[in-house]
Amino acid sequence: MESKKTGSVVVIGGGISGMLSALDLANSGFYVYLVEKGPSIGGVMAQLDKTFPTNDCAM
Amino acid sequence: MLTLSEVQNITGEKGNFQVEILKKPRYVREDRCIACGACTEKCPGKFDDGYNADLKTRTAIYVEYPQAVPLKYAINPAACLKLTKDKCGTCQEVCPADAIDYTMTEETVTIDAGSIILAPGFKPFDPSRFDNYQYAKFANVVTSMEFERMLSATGPTMGHVTTFPKVPANPKKKKDKLLAEKRKDPKKIAWFQCVGSRDVNKCDNAYCSSVCCMYAVKEAIIAKEHAGSDLDCAIFFMDMRTPGKEFEKYYQDAKTRHGINFIRSRVHSVVEDPETGDLHLQYADEMGQIVRDTYDMIVLSVGLEISKETRAFAEKFNIDLTESGFAKTGSFEPVTTSRDGIYVSGVFNNPKDIPESVLDASAAASAAGDALAEARNTLTKEIPAVPETNVIGDRPSIGVFICDCGSNIAGVVDCPDVTEYAATLPYVTVAEETTYACSQDAQDKMVEIIKGKRTQPHCGGGLHPEDP
Repeated sequence: MESKKTGSVVVIGGGISGMLSALDLANSGFYVYLVEKGPSIGGVMAQLDKTFPTNDCAM
Repeated sequence: MLTLSEVQNITGEKGNFQVEILKKPRYVREDRCIACGACTEKCPGKFDDGYNADLKTRTAIYVEYPQAVPLKYAINPAACLKLTKDKCGTCQEVCPADAIDYTMTEETVTIDAGSIILAPGFKPFDPSRFDNYQYAKFANVVTSMEFERMLSATGPTMGHVTTFPKVPANPKKKKDKLLAEKRKDPKKIAWFQCVGSRDVNKCDNAYCSSVCCMYAVKEAIIAKEHAGSDLDCAIFFMDMRTPGKEFEKYYQDAKTRHGINFIRSRVHSVVEDPETGDLHLQYADEMGQIVRDTYDMIVLSVGLEISKETRAFAEKFNIDLTESGFAKTGSFEPVTTSRDGIYVSGVFNNPKDIPESVLDASAAASAAGDALAEARNTLTKEIPAVPETNVIGDRPSIGVFICDCGSNIAGVVDCPDVTEYAATLPYVTVAEETTYACSQDAQDKMVEIIKGKRTQPHCGGGLHPEDP
């Protein structure tokens, strides 16, 4: 079917929220560009040692 | 995935945006870098290690942390001697993959997109401007982010909490050497809540950051786990806010099981002992009595704040903000910004913790996809199928990978002993202990081992920290 809309999405920010949005969209049939200003994705969550309330590793 | 990239311009409208992106040079070719780390060994350039909350420095050519994605080195052009003064060039000489390229330049790419999701996140509040806590001046007043890195097995102190955390482990300067002699394991740590949140007196953040109560309780529990139960932890708070699943139980457990003191008081000021670096504080308790006490370390539970860059970005692209700088959304459209076709998720929407960020992310993805339903599957590519290996009739070969997860599992389970025992079991051809088996580098190593030994792929053994 010919579409007038573009089937891709730009996600700005590669933290936990941006990564999840990007994965969800890619899994549902859209091409995703994940734009991150740093050299690697992960955001602040990757800096955390453990997360509550389970004290699981954040990595 | 576009790293080291920033959005310069957004034109067009819902369904058909054109997004102009500035790609900054990495000075390392991603297609060649094998992340061996040879380049960092002799790199003379240094700058503050933001990943470790600036508690230590790192070399000018770096990878943010060993599990980074993409696992490719990058050069900070402001710290690199070759790029600033045209002296050096060591990394290019030692790189076995010929990946270093000092001539890389910025490039601009324009991308067509139907929807845009903003997830720029937050920055931890900077308490330097509060003169009553003297964060900038007193060595043992730290932020919760710094404390988090100190607790981490991969952090600057490898999980060991110590006073004078910013003094290097092997000090070279005379001043640092004197401070290093005063260093000790803290016996009393205090957390101050609502630093940069619920405060219109000293800063303009009237909102509750919503995560600080819980992370302070978590940090106190983990600190006690690391240092032993005689560590005295006190949390000075206005209200404890525990609005999530099991959060209240976690708070009650902290009081009753872990013996953490909760003191309802806003501490007025902190005075440093010039000799020892200990911190004297004075506060009014709930009865209105003045209490004086001394702590070895104070952790400021800093709130979440929207950065100046994000605010400028929003202004440039006509995204309406609330007074506190978060994206303005409606009650019935919680992830839709004021600009049609642009959605928001994470802390830029409002302060929230990780599980809520995950929910928000799915909501924003649904809204962004919904707007483009007719264009679904028009631009996606097929994932190439992985060829399967026929192992019927082969001798079973079992690999056991024991993840120690820093101290998380290693603190409860004797991992070397389990590994040794597993190696004696029938058909086990590989038994290895690994730190953070969930990380990309560890998984790549496992794939190599599985391929090499033809170990059957269903046999990776792991533990979950919740049920060790």
